[in-house]
Amino acid sequence: MSLSTHQTPSGFLLPSIHSAPPFFTQQPNESTQAIVLEQWTRLILTYARHRRLFFLRVEDAEKAGGQWDEILRNERINRRLMPAHLETILRAMVRKNVAAYEPADQTRAVLLYWRLPEEWAAVLHEWATNTGQLNSILTFYEISDPPVESALSGIPDSMLRAAIAILAKSGRAQVISIADGEGVRFFARSGR
Amino acid sequence: MHRLGGVGLAAFDRQQQSQRSFAALSSQLSQAQVDDLHAQLDQFRTALSSFATHHRKDILSDPRFRHAFQQMCASIGVDPLAGPRRGGWWDEALGLGDWQSELGVQVVDVCVSTRERNGGLIELRELVRVVSRLRGLDGGAITEEDIVQSIRALKPLGAGYEVIDCGDGRRMVRSVVKELDADQMVVLALAGEQGGRVDEEGLVLKKGWARERARTALENMLLRDGTCWLDEQDGHDGMGRAYWVPAAMQWDE
Repeated sequence: MSLSTHQTPSGFLLPSIHSAPPFFTQQPNESTQAIVLEQWTRLILTYARHRRLFFLRVEDAEKAGGQWDEILRNERINRRLMPAHLETILRAMVRKNVAAYEPADQTRAVLLYWRLPEEWAAVLHEWATNTGQLNSILTFYEISDPPVESALSGIPDSMLRAAIAILAKSGRAQVISIADGEGVRFFARSGR
Repeated sequence: MHRLGGVGLAAFDRQQQSQRSFAALSSQLSQAQVDDLHAQLDQFRTALSSFATHHRKDILSDPRFRHAFQQMCASIGVDPLAGPRRGGWWDEALGLGDWQSELGVQVVDVCVSTRERNGGLIELRELVRVVSRLRGLDGGAITEEDIVQSIRALKPLGAGYEVIDCGDGRRMVRSVVKELDADQMVVLALAGEQGGRVDEEGLVLKKGWARERARTALENMLLRDGTCWLDEQDGHDGMGRAYWVPAAMQWDE
């Protein structure tokens, strides 16, 4: 049997290891499991980036029909990732700082860092600059759901806040209270 | 008593004289032989060198030619890599030493980088495939024999690389110093026939093993050696337990 890559309906290219039956089992051998974790981590992040998915929940492995089916299941070999195994993978991802539990007080759902907060900060600032919105006040909503789709479309509030906080530290953004909540103002790379 | 040299004092002289002539003749003869050998050797060397220079490209790029060349060398007792100088005296004409070391490095590279996945066991055919991809198209084709040669060349380094015969013509390369017992060899062979998958049932039915023996061999490979992976969703009900040997699986990546 030859293990080959596979193109999903959404246009994602699954790595060949995804067609290996034991890939879907939590390995009792520690060093083998380390490879499994590493491969799943990479697969989850690249898939999330491909589909622009920000959240992964243990429930996604519990029943079919969700956004994650293309990677959490492989109908061709009749295998699926078990919820307990997914929870282990999420824990490993949080430990490696490529995901964060969200909300913070549970272990069944994570916010995925297929871009790190620092990278989001750079993307955010570049977007504000390129769209000529420096110095004007923007609401969070205007950033995450802009009229023209952008690299930031759909970004969760918590990620947006983290990115703004990073920019604020270097004086490139400032959070401002406005009538209906909070807004943010971006500045050019400051010459202060 | 009659003696060839006769009797009397004069006989001593005669004997000594003939001994001297014999010695002179003998050294003359051996000198001639040595000269002759030198001449032959020179001729042989020239012939080999011109052969090597002439066919250098073929030797390095055509695996069949290279194999035939190495066989020829072996049958006349010449090691293309050995010689008084580093790399052998006609390594310079041929560059085969460099070629072989380069291949050795690539073999080690692949073995080490796939070790986590396969526990240090890789099928020779797979190794050829991955190494070939690593070398790209310009590297020329390589064969299993080339790899076996390179592994032999690695031996003095004490890396412990070994080629294992699994029977049925398949060979594996072991890159970790680990004893493979007879039972594990059987498991490897069976896994090879079945695309990498083995289970207790198969060993019991096909090899006539006791279930306990099958379980021990498989669990050792799984837990102790990391040479196989566990699949807990095997069978029609998706609840079965099967073992997969990555070294016997064909990976297209």
